[in-house]
Amino acid sequence: MPAASAPPRRLPVALLAQLAWRNLGRHRRRNAMLLGAIALAVAGVVLLNAMLRGMEGEVRAVVLDNLTGHVKVHAPGYLADPGIERGFDLPADWPAGLPAAATLGWAARLRVPAVLMSERETRGAELVGVDPGREGISFLGRVQVVGEALTGSQDRRLLLGRALAEHLQTEVGRRVVVVTQGADGRALEVGYRIAGVYESDFAGLEKVFVFTGAAALQRALGTTAVTEVSVRLADDAGPRQQTATAEALAAAFGGLDVYVWQELKPQAAAIVAMADFGVFIYFAVVMGALVFGLVNAMATAVMERVREMGMLRAVGMRPGAVVAQVMIECSLVMALGVALGLAVAFAAFVPFADGIDLRAFDLDKSVAQLGMRANFVPVLTAADVVLVGVLSLALGAAASLYPALRAVRIAPLVALSGGRGPLRAPRRKPRGT
Amino acid sequence: MTQAAASHTAPLGAQRVLARRGAAGALPLLARVAWRNLGRRRLRTAMSAGGIAFAIFLVSVFTSLQTGVYGAWIDTATGLATGHLQVQHPAYHADPRVASTVADGAALAARIAAVPGVLDATARAEAFALVSAGERSFGALVVGVAPEKEAALFALPGRRTDGDYLPRPDSAFLGANLAANLGVGVGDEIVALGGAPEGGVAALALTVDGVFATGQAALDRSLLQVRLEALQSAFGLGDGAHRIVVVTDNGERAPALAPTIAAVLPEGVRLLDWKTLMPEIEQGIRFDRITADMIYWLLMVLVALSVVNAFLMTVFERTPEFGMLMAVGMRPNAIVGMVVLEAVGVWVLGAAAGLALCVAVVLPLQAVGFALPDNEALRAMNEQMQMPERLHPHLGGKALSQAPLVMLLGTVLAALTAALRVRRMRPVDALRAEE
Repeated sequence: MPAASAPPRRLPVALLAQLAWRNLGRHRRRNAMLLGAIALAVAGVVLLNAMLRGMEGEVRAVVLDNLTGHVKVHAPGYLADPGIERGFDLPADWPAGLPAAATLGWAARLRVPAVLMSERETRGAELVGVDPGREGISFLGRVQVVGEALTGSQDRRLLLGRALAEHLQTEVGRRVVVVTQGADGRALEVGYRIAGVYESDFAGLEKVFVFTGAAALQRALGTTAVTEVSVRLADDAGPRQQTATAEALAAAFGGLDVYVWQELKPQAAAIVAMADFGVFIYFAVVMGALVFGLVNAMATAVMERVREMGMLRAVGMRPGAVVAQVMIECSLVMALGVALGLAVAFAAFVPFADGIDLRAFDLDKSVAQLGMRANFVPVLTAADVVLVGVLSLALGAAASLYPALRAVRIAPLVALSGGRGPLRAPRRKPRGT
Repeated sequence: MTQAAASHTAPLGAQRVLARRGAAGALPLLARVAWRNLGRRRLRTAMSAGGIAFAIFLVSVFTSLQTGVYGAWIDTATGLATGHLQVQHPAYHADPRVASTVADGAALAARIAAVPGVLDATARAEAFALVSAGERSFGALVVGVAPEKEAALFALPGRRTDGDYLPRPDSAFLGANLAANLGVGVGDEIVALGGAPEGGVAALALTVDGVFATGQAALDRSLLQVRLEALQSAFGLGDGAHRIVVVTDNGERAPALAPTIAAVLPEGVRLLDWKTLMPEIEQGIRFDRITADMIYWLLMVLVALSVVNAFLMTVFERTPEFGMLMAVGMRPNAIVGMVVLEAVGVWVLGAAAGLALCVAVVLPLQAVGFALPDNEALRAMNEQMQMPERLHPHLGGKALSQAPLVMLLGTVLAALTAALRVRRMRPVDALRAEE
């Protein structure tokens, strides 16, 4: 054996890898079982994480869609006490200061609390004056409308949510009276015709938001002001672009409050933040259960080869090479298990890639409370898959350390003579030697 | 058998006993031998037991947390104002119209309160109205309540941040955001205008006597409580109520009380439990259970696989020994039994360690509880989900038995999977495996 007759200065990695590979074939059943456990653990972590990532993406998308956008401008005090008296005029050169590169779009809106009265019922809502052409950045740009959608900023008809229309027992073409506060502070009663009824993924939105043309609402309230400017960034924009946009808006709207969506929706931000370290928690829990079996199998693999390792040591194999051999063997099993686990995870993921309809499991209301739609789409990201793979390989190497150090403690002569040495001698000759 | 091997197997005397008595009769002896065998591969025993302990510890701790939190979650969510059960007009839940009332609400509430298991019941009437103060107007849900019962049964009166809870016939108790939007405080006058069931306008002239803050923006912005009689009289409801709200002695088990309560109800009313009234809570609990169960099963299957592997190695290594035992007359089933008893021994060690750790972690937390980190985002999430502020895990029978029993089953099945090979062994071949 070359490694024995002329000990090389450097570790003969290729030879050790070959030995390790052959060793794996000596106990096929045991290694198959180990491989299955690793694959199950890896697939489990990847799929659990895909669910968490799906939840994160969904919560973020819904928040960004719900008139929030990435960054928003309000007058001071508007959030605590929303009303037209806390409006502001757009700067003359707007949107000159907005960084164009990362911006998907922006919308200036006039949002005021109002009471809607039909012939039969009365309900509270938020009356939002919009420029429909700018609302591609919010859910309004994608809703299904029965009747007609708003045609422009001058449109002085109403677009109602289906749930609110049902509560008010009214329909397209009928009139409702809207009571709200004018710019002069007085209560104002305005009659509106219903242009259309929209359907959103959340009954909550349908109950809250009533839309009309922004310019028409400004005229009705006697103002030129808006109450918010919302900016939506491109999907691939990162935190740096978001901060840059917030700074640009702060400069453009001096004296007004600028918020990023995490400040406006802290609950959603908590879920998104949680998703970033969720993968580590899943990994620790699931791989924690696996590591006991891994150490067990590797320690046995070492103990049953005491005589063989004694021989290798006797003919000159260095302790470092012994450690490397055990670690390579363990890493090989781990690498195979990770590959198999990822394949299983992909196979299990594909049927659900388009989403799981949670209504079928009667879970839609629970996830709606977290700000998620009923069609839940798990998300598998390359970065997470690589992270799980790398962490698993590192764990495999770490788990093999103890068995490898035991292998080093084997005293060559004692092991060869069949004595027990520092470790017990095997009671049978290993298969295949 | 070599000398080394002989020293590690059951003494010949014991083998004679095993051979004579059969597996069942020699159970204590088999158990003792199995226990001693566990000491032969201490690392393997420790690793298998460690895996079992790890799984039992995690699953039991989280089950205790779930058991403790679900009950408190239901109590917190239903305790604000919803109650455990409600009696309503059959159409009211789906389509809440002012005209859909239950007749003689107070008397019906008294009748329900007498049902065993019911703590108390109270009638409420409600209507949506335009609430105005000076030039400012906002929409709000005006709820007529019996103040003494509400204060005794629900948390909302306790969320008072200013003033008193409905001390006078024309008192109003409103959310802090609504008060701020209207620009009113304690002592100010407000007017509520709504649509009466028979058509026309119902008006309530009220004095703000108290303000509450729940932390749920939607409630604090749109809820106003008044005395029941004031609302009934202004809206012409007579003695009618929209909800008879029932509180029982156990929220989780309240739905089971429904048939008993239904027996005292008149015709033409509907009884709803909190699962129907607050489907998001029931679904939230189910959602949490499903995701947690996925992780629990994954953990336990992984540990069971490692136990199968450990016993495969054990059986493989001890093939010559088993051959010897069979050669001196021990039946294969007794050997399988001995291996299974070894698995039970591993389980005992693992379960004892896992449960001891679990008890050490959970008992102090059960006594004092723990709060989530004081973080604005987490607090917002807690309030939105209507979760309790302080969580107390509960170390009940389910938490202490479920994971250990599943792991016992898994361990025994794992050992059987490996040990059944013994039944296919021929003593002579097994003995030769040593050579």
